[in-house]
Amino acid sequence: MTGLYTRWALILGVTLLLAILTFQHYQQHLATLPMGTLLSSPPSSQPVRIQGMVKSGTLQGEVEQGQATFEFVDGPASLVVEYEGPPLENIRELKTLVLIGRWDSQNQVFKAQETALINNFGFVAAAYLVSVLGLGWMVFAMSQRVMVLFKEIKESKLYEPEADSLGYKE
Amino acid sequence: MINRIIRQIQRYKGWFGGGAALCIFLGLYTGLLASPPDYYQGELVRIMYVHVPLAHTSTLAYSVLFGGSIWYLWKRDPLVDNMCQASASICALFTALALITGSIWAKPTWNTWWTWDPRLVSFTVLLLILGGYLMLRRLVDDPVRGGRYAAILAIVGGIDLPIIKFSVEWWRTLHQPMSFSTRGVSISEDILIPLTLMSIGCWLLFAYMVMVRTQILYLTELLHAKKGRLLSQTHFSQTTP
Repeated sequence: MTGLYTRWALILGVTLLLAILTFQHYQQHLATLPMGTLLSSPPSSQPVRIQGMVKSGTLQGEVEQGQATFEFVDGPASLVVEYEGPPLENIRELKTLVLIGRWDSQNQVFKAQETALINNFGFVAAAYLVSVLGLGWMVFAMSQRVMVLFKEIKESKLYEPEADSLGYKE
Repeated sequence: MINRIIRQIQRYKGWFGGGAALCIFLGLYTGLLASPPDYYQGELVRIMYVHVPLAHTSTLAYSVLFGGSIWYLWKRDPLVDNMCQASASICALFTALALITGSIWAKPTWNTWWTWDPRLVSFTVLLLILGGYLMLRRLVDDPVRGGRYAAILAIVGGIDLPIIKFSVEWWRTLHQPMSFSTRGVSISEDILIPLTLMSIGCWLLFAYMVMVRTQILYLTELLHAKKGRLLSQTHFSQTTP
């Protein structure tokens, strides 16, 4: 039984390590900063991700050329965005999206270089949790059952050593 | 012959388990952290790295059940019957997980948890066949007769396998078409690496789980037989003057 639990502790440890790495990756590269936080306490100079909607009637510039200026709103907060990056194929007014760029506090402008899709990461987390927990629990229960059965057979005082791992004798 | 092959493979059970764990951990790492997001689906594409391997493994598991059932009806080998029973229960688990993860993926992409799509319906039919198989084995008192009936059901249910595979070509469907076919592979290399790792990991895990489950079924029968013998011996010694 000790070997079984040691193996499973190792598996659990690696799984937890992967979960921590994934959460860190999400926090550093995928999580968005609320627009209110960006305006009240702007980060120094590192790029940030903000989520919001292109305000109606404010989109100007050459969107197909990768240059645009628009007002970006998230609830009561709003800011002016200067986009300069890859051509935007599907940007339009009232479109919700994620912008990646830097906040220019001197000019009060968000300088965006990239856009990203809005994803609900809860779906990804749910799919992985269901699969990993479902399979992991099943394999653990089965391995434990084998151990219990071997123990019961041994304790029934009619135990005979098996010829192979299945228990069959040639 | 097949009996000997199963016993030989059983010797390497630990290697299958270890290989499965390694491939799945590498697949999870590359799928969650190293692979890029999809152009259209964004980060949601990562659900594919669990959904597709689970679905592939469930069809593989049913193929094992189908082949094993034919062999059992022909040779009446109890070890093959145990293997079929083990495959059926594990196949049911993989099928249920594939349906659940598919439903989770469908909500943000199709805006619905469920739709009467041919691929989804044929996959659900597979789960119902497996449920029927496992119930039949439990409900019939005579295990040999139950095994025979269940094997016939598994063979008849095998008709669902080509329906699942070709449903995306035969009918108009929301589900994406086959990515692996005679026309080639229509997946980017960045996505193919975690998908392959997870698929190999799930196949190895299925093999490992079948071996452990077959062992459980055998040991349970052995324990019942030994307990029965012990009881009859005690009864015999008590009643004999």
